[in-house]
Amino acid sequence: MPLSVQSVWACSILGQLIALTLLLLRRNASKIPFFTTYIVLNLCQAGFMLVLALIPTLSPDIFARLSWLSEAITLLAQAVATAEILGLTLRPYPGIWGLAWRALVAVSTLVVLILVWVSHARGTEQLWFQLNRGYHLTFATAVIACLALVRYYSIRVPSAFKMILAGFCLNSCVEVLVNTLIQVLFHKGYEVYQTAWLIVNMLSFVATLTIWIVALWKPFPVDDRQIASPSDSTYLRLSPEINERLREINEKLLRLWKMEARPE
Amino acid sequence: MTYTFIVLFGFAFLLLALLAWVLRGPTRVSRTDVAVGLTEFSDGRHVAFLPQIKQALAVQDSAYLASRGMHALATRVRRERRKIALSYLACLRSDFQKLWRLGRVISSMSPQVGMAQELRRFQLGLAFSLRYEIIRIKLLFEFAPLPELGALSEVVSRFSIRMETAMQDLGERAALAAKLASSLDGRGLDVP
Repeated sequence: MPLSVQSVWACSILGQLIALTLLLLRRNASKIPFFTTYIVLNLCQAGFMLVLALIPTLSPDIFARLSWLSEAITLLAQAVATAEILGLTLRPYPGIWGLAWRALVAVSTLVVLILVWVSHARGTEQLWFQLNRGYHLTFATAVIACLALVRYYSIRVPSAFKMILAGFCLNSCVEVLVNTLIQVLFHKGYEVYQTAWLIVNMLSFVATLTIWIVALWKPFPVDDRQIASPSDSTYLRLSPEINERLREINEKLLRLWKMEARPE
Repeated sequence: MTYTFIVLFGFAFLLLALLAWVLRGPTRVSRTDVAVGLTEFSDGRHVAFLPQIKQALAVQDSAYLASRGMHALATRVRRERRKIALSYLACLRSDFQKLWRLGRVISSMSPQVGMAQELRRFQLGLAFSLRYEIIRIKLLFEFAPLPELGALSEVVSRFSIRMETAMQDLGERAALAAKLASSLDGRGLDVP
């Protein structure tokens, strides 16, 4: 492994250790257990890769297969951690959450179909790359769709959660860009640009970790958002008033429409 | 390869741009703001001026002035009336946007949100924006788009009816929940 890759890799490990320490010290680990598990799994993956690299008799093919397998596990953990953050964000809004998960399924299915249509893998190595890229594209689209929905309904997202989600999305988008660009620039084979691919992807992950460290620096604030509930007194007071006003407006508009429809 | 590259690369860039957009803080709308917005909307009543606007855009007045040889005055009257029509159009959009925002807030407060209803509102919003732009361009280029203006009012009207139904549902559900809560408090469940 070239020294440049080793340096970035070391930075990535350091970043993950800092993030994990912050999660434990600030007592945020209990609030987002799946995200903590994701960080731990990433560290385990790094350790696993180190052990694999130290085995001299291991064939490159088996090394690649095991690496991709460990990557698949962490990607699954990433999806679960993201669902956890989105769930926490939308917990006070059960109606919107119900809408959001259906939108996520619809958007993800659409992206997967588009990817199946545009991708043509030749060989196992290319297939792994394309699966990885497809996952990141679907993941980023789904999270951004969910964030767009959150924005549309003017829902306040705690800044720490927002930064964690932004980090995930940024990392996925960079992975897609790098994978696509390098695939086109180098037709000779994936081995030629493996170092460049590793460095850029790890740098993007280091940037993501930096965002997460900033997000985790302080303990998460207590969620003071009021849960949407029909028994809420404010809502009970406001609801009839809104109803009455809407009825007034409606009647006014209906009168106008009837007036328009009447022949002059 | 080039086609795939363009699609994927463009998609990834689009996602990055969208990410930057969605991460900007949304305009916070509290329940008090809803009440204030509602009062403002109710006081607005821009939509009720359509007959006057229709009259202002009618060709008869300027045709009469032109027939009396007052071409300069006819042109001036037409220009000024178009300005008024454009202002009315802007106010109509403001009315619609207030209602639309209100609908979103109501949805976010509701424990159950119907996808069909939400899509319908989104569709209405798109239809309104499109019609608004078409009418505005027509007015700017000195056409008198009366049927379209009527259709625009219809969109606002339809939307208002939908909002009323939604609010009625919410109100009934809220009343039912309050009734249940009070009856439970009264009877007490921890009877030996």
